[in-house]
Amino acid sequence: MLDSIFYPGSIAVIGASNNEIKWGGRILKNILSAYKGKVYPVNPGETNIQGLNSYHSVLDIPGEVEMALVIVPAKFVLSVAEECGKKDVKGLIVISAGFGETGNNELEKELLSIVRRYGMRMIGPNTLGIVNEPASLNASIIGRLPTPGSISFITQSGSLGLALAEWTINTGIGLCKVISTGNKADVDDVDLIEYLNNDPSTGVIAMYVEGIKRGREFIDAVRRVRKPIVAIKTGRSKRGAKAVFSHTGSIAGSDEVYSAAFRQAGILRVEDIDDLFDAALAFSCQPLPSGNNVAILSNGGGASIVAADECERHGINIVDLTPETREKIKKVIPQFASNSNPIDTAGTVSFEIYDNSIQALHDDPNVDAIIVIYVHTMMFSAMPPAEAVVEMKQKCIKSKSRKPIIACWMGGAGTEEGVEILRSGCIPNYPVPERAVKALSCLIKHSEFLDKVKVGAGQEDKMGRCK
Amino acid sequence: MKILTEHEAKKVLSKYGIQVTQGSIAKSADEAFRIASGIGFPVAMKISSPDISHKSDVGGVVLDIKKEDVKAAYSDMISRISKAVPGANIEGVLVQQMAPPGHEVIVGLKKDAQFGHALMFGLGGIFVEIYKDVSFRVTPIDKKEALEMISEIKGSPILKGIRGRKPVDVDAVADVLVSVSEMAQKENIVELDINPLIVGENGAVAVDARAMVEK
Repeated sequence: MLDSIFYPGSIAVIGASNNEIKWGGRILKNILSAYKGKVYPVNPGETNIQGLNSYHSVLDIPGEVEMALVIVPAKFVLSVAEECGKKDVKGLIVISAGFGETGNNELEKELLSIVRRYGMRMIGPNTLGIVNEPASLNASIIGRLPTPGSISFITQSGSLGLALAEWTINTGIGLCKVISTGNKADVDDVDLIEYLNNDPSTGVIAMYVEGIKRGREFIDAVRRVRKPIVAIKTGRSKRGAKAVFSHTGSIAGSDEVYSAAFRQAGILRVEDIDDLFDAALAFSCQPLPSGNNVAILSNGGGASIVAADECERHGINIVDLTPETREKIKKVIPQFASNSNPIDTAGTVSFEIYDNSIQALHDDPNVDAIIVIYVHTMMFSAMPPAEAVVEMKQKCIKSKSRKPIIACWMGGAGTEEGVEILRSGCIPNYPVPERAVKALSCLIKHSEFLDKVKVGAGQEDKMGRCK
Repeated sequence: MKILTEHEAKKVLSKYGIQVTQGSIAKSADEAFRIASGIGFPVAMKISSPDISHKSDVGGVVLDIKKEDVKAAYSDMISRISKAVPGANIEGVLVQQMAPPGHEVIVGLKKDAQFGHALMFGLGGIFVEIYKDVSFRVTPIDKKEALEMISEIKGSPILKGIRGRKPVDVDAVADVLVSVSEMAQKENIVELDINPLIVGENGAVAVDARAMVEK
């Protein structure tokens, strides 16, 4: 049913405008920029909008309309929704504000009853729209379509969510869908997560959450979803102001309960906005590790110590390598360098060193995941080690066993070309070791969720992940 | 919304198989003595009033009362409370067996608008008040999750035995957690504290409890 919203064959933009500064103008322009299906502007005051015939009402449109965007003042929304129902529109995206979020709960209820009566589905009201890259659909006020990817992002907040989406698009992180949920009068988190779970182009779900409706159902639904879900939940609890009856009452603020609920559902709760997309990026292009034993390769001792410290903080084990592995690595690194984990090449960098070392680590049965660090100095180029990482990944895809490889290219200026090789080779790369380790810790935690929390078959798909 | 007295709250706990310290409400010094004799000495005495939920704050708890002191302890408590909380509706004095030795832990419930009920576990006393060393789950939970809740808190090694001390009956605590999870909806609990639940090498006993329920 939600396919009518995400993959519509035809769209009516009700409240379309020639003025691109207005929402109705901006969104129509965004849709027209890439979408290949039929688009019908609706505005009783215009005959031609952005080069298209404009209709007085959705009922005047000659062909079928599968989805309608509603961008009219709140007082007109009910009659517009009623007309959409009569026109047999399947999905609505109601951008209009002035409903539950301003205390106008009655109007929202009436809108929902119209939607239900006609068997439609609705996102919103008070949403900033949706983006679905595989359908080339930008039915939102977001500036442009993202780079293709397998991350779908559900955001409850309007502007912050939007800013995050824009920022993500600008960093070149691939996105599949961006969904601004608005007031969630009809389609809510449970509906969306279940839909995205069945969406072949979504590999990982990122969420910006302020509050969840249908809490217990949400937990049960999410436990059946085996795709990784990473969430940031804002709105720390307000408590302790008044005298409370019990100790439990004073400690169990909503934030603690959310943390518990997310863990029971198998949702990775992250603290910072950086963490959200760092983790999503790792999920979108790396397999899951089968355990928490990591090997670290670095050309700088300091960086590898920072990484090892962070690993310890997250319960990740810096594993002992087998004698064979250490022997293989000893042959390629300088004599004075360390061939025990973390591997430190003592400043020396070459394609061969990184290639052979990563290969040896990957072949080591004790190792579940690899963190590859490159610290930039003027002595070396950031490119050959990056090429080694990407080449290793290609080899691994061909072989049956594939372990996650997380990169950390440090040093800013001078590393750009290496970073670009990693990015286009679909290796998650982070500018500091802590972020690389945190992202890896999410992969490990999700593996644990699959074993301990998630229900259903364990057919772990590489679905939706880039090659 | 109704506040249950300790005695009422413990009746609910017993219904779900949770062991509680035995006791009855006495309405006179003589009755207190009779009840205490049935339990065996020494005993504890606690004021029973729907208007007083933090009993020890107003001098409503006396422990380790010997046979010869029971009657006087009863009278003293009634007059003390009448002064401390004038106009409180006093049902009587709960005469109770003394708690067995063991570690104090807290088990609690709170109704949550989004998720139903949240279940809390922690070490009792200062650990919960100062360190907030607790774990949470949304109910219902099974025994496996209950055991995880116990392992999750930082103070968990204390229960599992450190420095030569014997481990306590963690399994019994897990059973209590599962029982409390079960009663959350059935009893329309808004808030519940079992504080302390005393856990020894064999079994766990609810020594004090307070609850608020929706009628």
